[in-house]
Amino acid sequence: MRNRVAKAIENKAAEDEKLYLISGDAGLGVWEGFKETYPERFLNPGVNEACDVGMASGLALRGYKVVYYNIAPFVIMRPYEQVRNDVCYQELPVIMVGTGSGITYAPAGMTHYVIEDIALAKTMPNLNIFSPCDPIEADAAFAYAYAADTPTYIRIPKNGEPELHKSTNIDITKPHVLREGKDALIIFHGSIVDAVLPACDTLSEKGIEVCAVSNPMVSNISDELAELINKYDSVYVAEEHYEYGGLGTIITDYCNEKGIFKKINKIALKNEYIHKVGNRDYLREHYGISIDKIVKFICSKVEK
Amino acid sequence: MEQITKDIRKNIITIANLAKSPHVGSALSCADILATLYHKVMNISLPLCEDRDYFLLSKAHSAMCLYSTLNSKGFLSDEDMLGYYQNGGKLPAHTDRLTNDFIEISAGSLGHGLPIGLGIAKSLKLDKKDSRVFVLMGDGESQEGSVWEAAMLAPALGLDNITAIIDYNNLQGYGRARELVSYEPIKDKWESFGWETVCIDGHDYEQLEEALSKKSNKPKIVICNTTKGKGVSFMEDELIWHYYLVTDEIKQKAMEELS
Repeated sequence: MRNRVAKAIENKAAEDEKLYLISGDAGLGVWEGFKETYPERFLNPGVNEACDVGMASGLALRGYKVVYYNIAPFVIMRPYEQVRNDVCYQELPVIMVGTGSGITYAPAGMTHYVIEDIALAKTMPNLNIFSPCDPIEADAAFAYAYAADTPTYIRIPKNGEPELHKSTNIDITKPHVLREGKDALIIFHGSIVDAVLPACDTLSEKGIEVCAVSNPMVSNISDELAELINKYDSVYVAEEHYEYGGLGTIITDYCNEKGIFKKINKIALKNEYIHKVGNRDYLREHYGISIDKIVKFICSKVEK
Repeated sequence: MEQITKDIRKNIITIANLAKSPHVGSALSCADILATLYHKVMNISLPLCEDRDYFLLSKAHSAMCLYSTLNSKGFLSDEDMLGYYQNGGKLPAHTDRLTNDFIEISAGSLGHGLPIGLGIAKSLKLDKKDSRVFVLMGDGESQEGSVWEAAMLAPALGLDNITAIIDYNNLQGYGRARELVSYEPIKDKWESFGWETVCIDGHDYEQLEEALSKKSNKPKIVICNTTKGKGVSFMEDELIWHYYLVTDEIKQKAMEELS
């Protein structure tokens, strides 16, 4: 996904000479093409996130389209106040792209996990938040962000994820059913797709047919998603994020507001600091969001 | 200039009294700086044009001074100015850029203006425009890490079109900059970061005009030695006027001195 977004940005730069890229000293192996083609439009100001985001807003104030790229903790969390005051409060359509979403970089340690970013991002009312699950969604998220007159945050895991959508022409603001099923509904976003879909296969073997839905625009709960939720008695939200403050919380609040009285089962990381050491799959298993744990959890809830 | 700055100071006292809002000392401190910029140095006029110079009030708790100065140029109506801080008024205590075209940035949390200024200065370079960017910071403000991030970056970007200004009144929210941190030698610090550095009397119009008008081939910083509360004797260099409110009685005394 990372290189796909990079390519989309590079392609757009060919059309728009006011597209400008600020990298917070990140992106080895990602931006070489952009740097070579548009050296004057690539800026690496060093390790100074507050300054990066402030500067991005200064460029945007004068009509430049700025993409700020960094690993995800340093996009939303480190310069949170600059994102809030300089970008969002000033209503500037800056595009912020963070890599290493969730616990992608495990065992890098807690400082490099970003499992509360959606909770923070959602506090900014005009910020579009995307968490694509495949390169097609990543492309569409960037296209939306580029056209938007509001700011955008795109969180992506890493590189090399397979394409899951059959068509490249998707509406990124809507939920997408990646697998049909009548017994339960699992909504997810981003990297957890590679646990959710195999879990659905296993559940199918056990006679439980689960409908798997990607909701890449985390900041937008559409009528279509509400309709889907209404259709199922057994509803789950899976994400590589804290269980409080992520999509599960957003959907729970939405349902509460709309009078949809459904139990929303959250499959997410516990709200605690991670001291355990291990790779992403190891930590997923520990925190109950691995393929096996998702299967077990849904089996325990769905009676057949 | 003397009359212009007296009028700006009177308006600061007037709206501080109407609003019962804090930071009157901070606003009075930088009145001569803003008056010189808007009346002598900057290329800015009605209607707002693309080729203008940019002024960013990073120490936005001094917004009363900006509002009064914009009013003195006819860029902000009396009605809007007098509605400062009032229920249903337009202007908050810290600037919101959506309230008036001449308010370039929303600010208030310290240390934000210089990085934004770098972005604007960079965009002007890209557009091959000669406009300049002025960013006013407080001495307390320039303890923020983001200021030094920007200080390190501006010379590397070749931004000779940016001029930072420090309103150095040595009296921040709850103490003196020189006592709280190792503030001095402030000139040497900026110089060592690659900035052209000038220290002046921030209440002397001639020094202000010369220092602010003169362009440099490097990013420039003008360190203005100022007195907090300048122009109203009993507010001068008194910590309490960072936060104390201007009652009717205080207003009357202040106005007598300014008239």
